[in-house]
Amino acid sequence: MNVLKNLVSILDRVRKPSRYIGNEYNAIYKKNADVRLCLVFPDLYDIGMSHFGLHILYDIVNSSDFASCERSYLPWMDMQELMRENSIPLYSYESYRPLREFDVVGFTLQYEMSYTNVLRALRLSDIPLHNSERSDSDPIIIAGGPCTVNLTPMKNFIDAFLVGDGEEAILEMLDAVKAGTREEKLRKLSTINGVYVPEYNDGVSRRIISEMGKAPRAQIVPYTDVVHNRGVVEILRGCTHGCRFCQAGMIYRPVRERSAEEIYDIANDIAHLTGHEEIGLLSLSSADHSQINEIISLLKNLNDVSVSIPSTRVDAFSVKLANAVSSVRKSGITLAPEAGSQRLRDVINKGINEKEIFDALEHARKFGWKRVKLYFMIGLPTETDEDVMEIGEMLKNVKKMGFGNVSATLGVFVPKAHTPFQFSEQIKPEEAQRRFKLISWARRFAKINFTDPRKALIEGILSRGGENMSKVIEMAEKRNLIFSDWNEMFKPNEWFEVFEESGINVEEIMSAKDIEYEFPWDFIDVGISKGYLWSEYERALKGILTSDCRKGCTRCGVCMNFDVRNVLKGRIAPKPIEGDAI
Amino acid sequence: MSEIKKYLFHYKRYGLLRYLSHLETTAMIERVLRRTGVHFEQTQGFHQRMKLSFGQALPTGIIDLSGLFVASSDRLSSIQELDFINLVNSVSPRGFEISSFEEMPKTFKLSKALSGYEFKLLFKTVPPSNMIDKALKVNDVWIVELYKPFNSSVPKNGEFGQYLTLRSKALLSEVQIDQSIGSR
Repeated sequence: MNVLKNLVSILDRVRKPSRYIGNEYNAIYKKNADVRLCLVFPDLYDIGMSHFGLHILYDIVNSSDFASCERSYLPWMDMQELMRENSIPLYSYESYRPLREFDVVGFTLQYEMSYTNVLRALRLSDIPLHNSERSDSDPIIIAGGPCTVNLTPMKNFIDAFLVGDGEEAILEMLDAVKAGTREEKLRKLSTINGVYVPEYNDGVSRRIISEMGKAPRAQIVPYTDVVHNRGVVEILRGCTHGCRFCQAGMIYRPVRERSAEEIYDIANDIAHLTGHEEIGLLSLSSADHSQINEIISLLKNLNDVSVSIPSTRVDAFSVKLANAVSSVRKSGITLAPEAGSQRLRDVINKGINEKEIFDALEHARKFGWKRVKLYFMIGLPTETDEDVMEIGEMLKNVKKMGFGNVSATLGVFVPKAHTPFQFSEQIKPEEAQRRFKLISWARRFAKINFTDPRKALIEGILSRGGENMSKVIEMAEKRNLIFSDWNEMFKPNEWFEVFEESGINVEEIMSAKDIEYEFPWDFIDVGISKGYLWSEYERALKGILTSDCRKGCTRCGVCMNFDVRNVLKGRIAPKPIEGDAI
Repeated sequence: MSEIKKYLFHYKRYGLLRYLSHLETTAMIERVLRRTGVHFEQTQGFHQRMKLSFGQALPTGIIDLSGLFVASSDRLSSIQELDFINLVNSVSPRGFEISSFEEMPKTFKLSKALSGYEFKLLFKTVPPSNMIDKALKVNDVWIVELYKPFNSSVPKNGEFGQYLTLRSKALLSEVQIDQSIGSR
C-alpha cells in the first residue's frame, strides 16, 4: 500500500506541508531488501531531521546488502487529525508505505517527554501498543537512544531495546529478524550484545564501539528550515570531564576522537554532496578534541562554507576557538557556568573557577561579542540560598564588564540515572519558584528566563520511574498529552492528574536515595559501577574535585569492564588502572 | 579570471515540491547550485549567501512551470549550456529542473523585466460563474486561464474551488527581452 495519493489530497490543508513530503535530496529508497526497517523520530520532522544518530543508522543500513532503512516522524496535530479523517496511517518518507508493513520499526528515545509521542506513532500506525498484544504479522518494535539507560518505563511497549552505540548492533539486529516467527526473532535478538528483550533478558550491558565508525557524508538535505539546518561531522563521542549532573558525560564514555584529517575529508564530502552552507562540529565538548586547532585550520580550506561549534566549555581557549570559526558577525556567545558559586561548581565537578569564567568573558568582549548568554541550574545538591544569590552577583559583574546584552537561562536540575547525582533529590516546583525569586533583583542587569519547573518535575518522574510508569504514559497519550516539550502543548496540571490517578508516589520517586536503594535501572550496566557513582556523590557532598580521566584514570569502570579506552588522535590516552573498578 | 556574467534561469517545480514555500524553494535552489561545484556570486555581509534574485513568490501548493531566477558567475561561460543543465538536474531533487538559461546584460533586473504571469486553474466541477466564460473543458476537467500582472495577488490553491493551480507562463517585457544577449 502506498499512501501518497491520499496524502496529496490533504497537504494543501496543513501548516508547513514541506515537513511531510519526503523526497529530499540524498534520501534513499531501496526497493528490494530482505529486511525493511523504518526509523521513527517521535517528534516533529523539524526536530527529528536534526538528530544525527538517525542519519548514522540510515547510512549504515542502506549501505548493507540485505537491509533497507526508511524514516518517519510524528506529524503535528493538524496533520494527525486530517490523517485520521482520511484513514491515512503513519507512513515512511521514502516509499510512503504504512509503518505496519515494515519488518522492523525503530524509535529513538532522546528525551523522556517524547514517550507519549512513541505511543501516538504506534497508534497512528495501527500497531498494537503493548508488546504482549503483537503477533507474527506485526513489525518488531525496537528502540535505542540515551533514555534506554532507564528503559523500564517503556518496557511494555517495546520488543527489543538497544542500549549504547548502534553502529554495529543495528545490522546484527536486522540480521536476527530476517526469518522466523516473532518468538524466534525475539529470542535471537536477546542474544545480541547490548540488546535487551523484556521477555527474555534479565540484564543488559551497554554496547560500545571501540572507535568511531563510518560517517554519513551524503546527508539528507531538508527543505524545511529544521532546527539544525546544516551538515554535521561528529568529531568525537564521549566526554571525560566528569560533571556529576551530566548523564551524557557518564553514558557515552570513553572518548573516541576522529583524526583531524578524517574530519576534514568528511566535511569536504558533506559540503559537495549536500550543498550545505554550514558544517557543524558535533560533540559533547568540541574544545576537548586533542587536535581542535588543526581541525579548525584545515576546515578553513573549505570554500564558501562556514563552520559552527555548538558545544564549548567555559574557558578562554573555547572563546578563542569560537572566535576562530565565527565569520564576521558576533551575534552572541553562550557559556554554561551551571552554578553561581565556586563551592557549588566544585560540588558538581564543573572544574572551572571564577577567574576562568571571567577570563573567558573578557576574551569574548575583546573579540567583539556584544551579547552573552549564560546557563545555570537551580536545585543542585547542597544548594543554599547564598549559592543562588551568587548567580545574580555574577550577572551583575558580567553586565559591568560592558556587554550590551546579558541574558541567563535557569533550569531546574533533574537527577538522572547512571550519574553520581542519581542519589540526589529533585526540588519541587514551589521551592524552585522560591529560589527563582532570590535572584529577581538581578533583572536590572540581565534578562533572566526561568524554565518551567513543572516540566522539569514531569521529566524527572518519567526518567526515574519504574514499570508502573507505563500506565502513566499510556493514560497521558490517551488524553492527548503529546508533544509535551512544546510550550503550546504542555499541560502540567493534566500530567499531575495522570500521576495521581495512576497511583504514582511522586515523593518516593523524587526523594534522595542511598547506595542500598534498588533503582529501576540497576540491571542496565552502562560500564560505570554503582559504587563509583556513590563515591562520586560522597565526594560531591564534600566539594572534592575529581580530575578529567584524560589526565589519569579515575577508575569509573568503563574501560576495565568493556575492554575499551579513550581514543585520542592527538596524544596517547593514559592506560586504565589495573584491578577491579570501584 | 573570466568576467562575471549575469544569467537568467528558467525552472520548473512540480510534484511534491509544489508544497515548498517561497523561502524553501530559494534555499533548495541555492543548495542545488552549490552541489554543481560551479561558483556563483555571493552576497557581501555577515552571512554570505548566494546572490540570487527571484520572480514573484508563490503560495504553497502551486505547480510552477515558469520559475525564474537570476544569478551571476564567472565560470559558467566556459561550460556548454546543455552540460550545465544536465549537471544541475543530476543534483536536483525529483520535481525540480532547470529547463534553460541565458546570459543577460549587467543592467538586467528581473523585477523590472517581469510584466506578469499566466495561471491555469484546474476544476473537477463547474467553475464559478464569473469564470465559466473563460473555461475550457478537457475530458472531465475544466481549465481556466488567468493573467495576473507582476506583484498583484496570486490565486491561492483552492481559492475558487480549483483542485490544482499552475503558474504556466512568465511574461517578460519586450524591451528587456531585446536586451538579452541570447540563449547560450
